[in-house]
Order: sequence, then structure tokens, then C-alpha cells
Amino acid sequence: MKRILLTLSLLSALAFGDEASDIMKRIDDNQRGQNVYMQMSMTITSMGHSRTMKMQSWAKGTKKSFVKTIYPPKDRGITFLSLDNQMWQYIPKIERTIKIPPSMMLQNWMGSDFTNDDVVKQSSIVDDYDAKILKREGKVVTIELIPKEDAAVVWGKIVSQIDTDTYTSQKDIFYDEDGEEVRYFIYDKVKKFGKYYSPTVWKILPSDKKGNSTEIILEEVKYDQEISEQYFRKSALKRFSR
Amino acid sequence: MFNLALKNILFYKGRSITTLILTFISALMFIVYVSMMDGSHESMLKNALKVYTGSIEIYKKDYRDIGGNEYLITDVQKIEKELDKIEGIDTYTARYETYGLLSSSTQSSASLVAGVEPLKEPSMSQLKVALVEGEFLSPTSGNCLYAGVDLVKKLEAKLGDEISFVGAASDNSFAADLFKLCGTFRTGSFSFDASSAFIARAYFDELMMSHNKASYINIKVHDLNDVDTINTQISAKIDDSIESLTWKTLMKTMVDAMEVDSIFGYITISIFYVVIFFVIMIFGFINVSSRIREFGTLRCIGLSRQKIRTLLFYEIFILSSIAIMIATPIGAYIAYYYSVHPIVIDGMSEMYKDYGIISDEIPFSFNLFTITWNISVVYLLNILSILYPMAFINSFKPVEAAHHV
Repeated sequence: MKRILLTLSLLSALAFGDEASDIMKRIDDNQRGQNVYMQMSMTITSMGHSRTMKMQSWAKGTKKSFVKTIYPPKDRGITFLSLDNQMWQYIPKIERTIKIPPSMMLQNWMGSDFTNDDVVKQSSIVDDYDAKILKREGKVVTIELIPKEDAAVVWGKIVSQIDTDTYTSQKDIFYDEDGEEVRYFIYDKVKKFGKYYSPTVWKILPSDKKGNSTEIILEEVKYDQEISEQYFRKSALKRFSR
Repeated sequence: MFNLALKNILFYKGRSITTLILTFISALMFIVYVSMMDGSHESMLKNALKVYTGSIEIYKKDYRDIGGNEYLITDVQKIEKELDKIEGIDTYTARYETYGLLSSSTQSSASLVAGVEPLKEPSMSQLKVALVEGEFLSPTSGNCLYAGVDLVKKLEAKLGDEISFVGAASDNSFAADLFKLCGTFRTGSFSFDASSAFIARAYFDELMMSHNKASYINIKVHDLNDVDTINTQISAKIDDSIESLTWKTLMKTMVDAMEVDSIFGYITISIFYVVIFFVIMIFGFINVSSRIREFGTLRCIGLSRQKIRTLLFYEIFILSSIAIMIATPIGAYIAYYYSVHPIVIDGMSEMYKDYGIISDEIPFSFNLFTITWNISVVYLLNILSILYPMAFINSFKPVEAAHHV
């Protein structure tokens, strides 16, 4: 009897594991599509004041993305290219293309609560973490993501609350290697773009800096439209900066 | 009793000479070893304080633990006004530090980039005297960058090259600029020289929007011994969101390492001394054992147990005093000589650079108080070593002892 129960519990764990991975893949598909263009505004609140930036981004699959800052004028034309977990930045003010070294990957991206690593390691949630369902509450499933043994990742654990109607995340909580909560993402205003669902408001709140936040509002989203390969060459950094 | 003790010392030459030599070696080694250990620690500390860290530093609370622009001091002038009123402060300077990416045309490196006051910095740190090539900063040096030699090596840059900087300004907005490499320095601390660069505050404040802001205020005091008193005065004058810390907290890792090193040093010398202690005690015991009849006769003619104890005490006291009187001036001279002329071991700093050793010199510490307690310990242990022989000899009854074979 014990063996049967043990076998059943193992099978159900495997099934939940597979289901959790499947959910994470569907979320990833929703976020990326084949390719995606976005125009977004990013409002960073820290030290009691806020500033807003606007950006355009082009992404193809999990390995290629290009971001251009279009507002404020001071930062206009700063471009970022990420290819296969590497990142370059072009700064028009100094007319330099700079490769971001690994030691800078945990630094804030453009002064926001994103890190450079968030921008580059776009595929790691699916590839580098083992997913497990923690609980279900109606259409919301809570999934725990634990890094795979050999994965070169920053977080010790991520807990995501997923809306299984739209396969979008409602909240992601990030923990460090010691299990301390570091930050959380809250997603809101899910919209349908063609066959994809995407939250159009993302808010990041660091746990150790009360009052700080970064809010991204997706102003324009276009899935699966032709994006030129030219965006994903290093020459694009300067070329599309203008 | 004293005269009798003297006669005994002269009569039992073997025991006397052994005790003298062992006590002499112990006292000499103790003085020299402790002097060398303390001297090395003082040197490490002095070097570390000279390089960049101040004897007192003022921070906004949590800056050291969490960091970031949220924890900058935002009204430097207000604090500086208070510092001007405190006696014992030699000078102070407000530094603005940030971590950013420095890039040459070929290489990049994440580095500490600090805005410093070029006129005040030379009296606060070793930055200016550590100049290797080019020139130190001046208030009008603009975008001149003064970088560690190992950082420059990593960047594959040379004097006059443009070095780009990318980082976050004090309001967390994006900051980027082109600096010109005007000078390089070598403090001897590899980690510092490989990851630090400096720029005149006047220029850096424009870029980082850090006017009247600081990561911390670095304070130099007239006398390092007054650091706790001055720190208490500063703490009383600044508000609760700001903290004033002495080098003991700022360099806790080094202080802890030195304490651990001292403990191991004392354990080593203690093991050595325990051996010496037992050798002296055994020689004392053998000596006393061979004199049982003598002590028995002395007891029979009227000497009390107390007098016997006094006699043995005088013997060890005289021997210890002679040995220590010879060892102390020699040990003190060695400590003094090497405190003035440190031992130099070529290449030592290179080998131990990761432990904060930035000099090939091993200076000794010459401190009369330390020498006094060192010889007191030797005295005490020598006197303790005679307690068992005293108890042993007094355990015999006078007649029994007088007939002992």
C-alpha cells in the first residue's frame, strides 16, 4: 500500500512539475511571441522623486534584443543590444560603444530597479529553473522556481503567481541565495495583442529600499511582425541611435 | 635567609645556570616576539589608514550595509560646520564615491570612481605621494582621471588616453562622460590599485549632480589615541540618521584578523613558555629533591616551613631577577633598534598583498608598558614554578627529612 501511495505521489509530483514547466513556457511564449516590438515608458521613483524615460524595444526569440531610449532628451539615443547573454551599450554623448562586463551585470539598468542581468538573461526563467506548483486558487497557480544545479543565475528562488486564463504572471517574488526576499514584480492591465496576452503595467518594488519603485507601461506592442536582422548587429547600436 | 639563598645559588651551579639561561631566553624571546607582532600590526594599521581610510568617517546610516544613492549624506556643509568646532580634528574631506564602468578603446572594468578634493586629499591619504606617472589632480584639472596602475594595466591605457565612464548619477539618472588619464598611482594594495580611480570633485559634482552630497566625510585627527573621544563629540553633534565611525569599526576585518593573529602568536609563545616553565620546575624539583636532608636538618635546627618557603622563593627570585635584568635591556634594545630600522624582506609585500601588507618592512614596536608586562609574566611563571617543589619539601617531617637517603 505504501509503495502505491509513494508511486502515486511521485507521479503527481512529476505531473505537477511538467505542468508547472508547461505554464512557464506558455508565459514565456506570451511575452515574446516569435518576435515583438514594444514602446514603453518607464517611471523610476527613488529618493522621493520620479523621472520618466521612454524606450523602444525590438526582440527576436530569446537571444536577441535591441533597446533605444527616446526620452528624456538627455538620454535620447542611448542604445542597448543583447545577443546570447552578452550586452553592449552605445552612448551618443561620448560616442562610445561599450560592452557591459559580467561584473556589471547586477548593476541597475538605466538607474531603474532592473538589473543588466534582467535585460540579458531573458530566457533563463524557462531554461535555468525547475518549476513546481505550490498551490492553486481558482485560476491562479503559484509556482516556485528553483535554479538548476549548474545554472549560472542570480536568484536563489522565484515565486510566481500565474493567471492560467491568460497565462500571464500577476506577481513574481525574487529571493536571494539566503532565501531573503529581494524584490517583487507586480503585473497589471492584461491586454490581448493578436493571439498573445501581456500585462501592460509592470511594477518593480525592491524590498530593501522602501519608497523606491520602477513602473513600466507598455504603450505600444506589436507581435510577430517582421523585424530586420539589422537591429541585432553591433553596428545597429550607433546606426539606430539617431 | 637572603644570604643563605645566595650561597645555595652559588653552590648548586648546574641548577642555577640552567634556570638563568632558560629564564633569560624566555624573557628575551617574549619581549622580541611581542614587539615584532605588535609592530607588524601597528604597521598594517598605519599603512591602511595612510592609504585611504580615515581615522574617523561619517556616513549616513545603512550606507555601508546597503549602499546606493539613497544613503548619501545630503547636507555636507552642515556637518562640516560642526566639525570645525571640534578640537583634535586635523582636517577632513568629503568624498563622493560611485561604482561605474570605465572603458578604454579596448577594455572595460567595473571600478570605484571617487570625486575627491585635490587640495585636501594629500593631507588625508597617500594618494598624491603614490603617484607613479603623470600628475595628481588639482581643482582645475577638469576631466583628468587619476587611476591605480593595475586598473590602467587592465584597461590597457596610457597617459593621455580617453577613458569613458558610465554609471548612475546621485539622483540615479544615467551618467556618462569621457575622462582623460592624467596620472597613475601605486599604493601597494593590489585590490585598491586595480579598482580605484579619482577625479576632482568640482568636475565630478557637475556630472553626478552631487553638490553638497557625499558618500562619507573622512576625518584625520591629530592624535590617534584621541579617536574615541573625538568620535563621541562628533556623534553628539550629528543627527540620528548619520553615524560617525572610528577606524576600529571601519577596518573591523583587519582589526579582527590582527586579534586572531595576536591570539595565535600568544598561543605559540605560551606553548614555548609552558615547556620552559616545566623545565624550570623540574630542575627546581630535582634540586630540592637532592636537598631533602639539608632541608630536614634546617627544619631540625628550628627553621619553620614558612622560612623554607622564603628560602626557596629567594632562590628563584634572585635567579629570575638576574636573568631578567640581563634580558630586558637586550630585548628592549632589539625592539627599539628594529622599531627605528625595520627588518626588510624583499618581495614580502608582493607575497602577502592580499592580507593588506603593502611594505617589505617589518617594524618592531618599542613600548615600555608592553615590555613591563612581558617581564612580569616571566617573573610570575618562574615564581609559580617553585610552588610544587615548596609543597613537596614541606610535606616531609623534619626528622624524616633529616634521615632521608
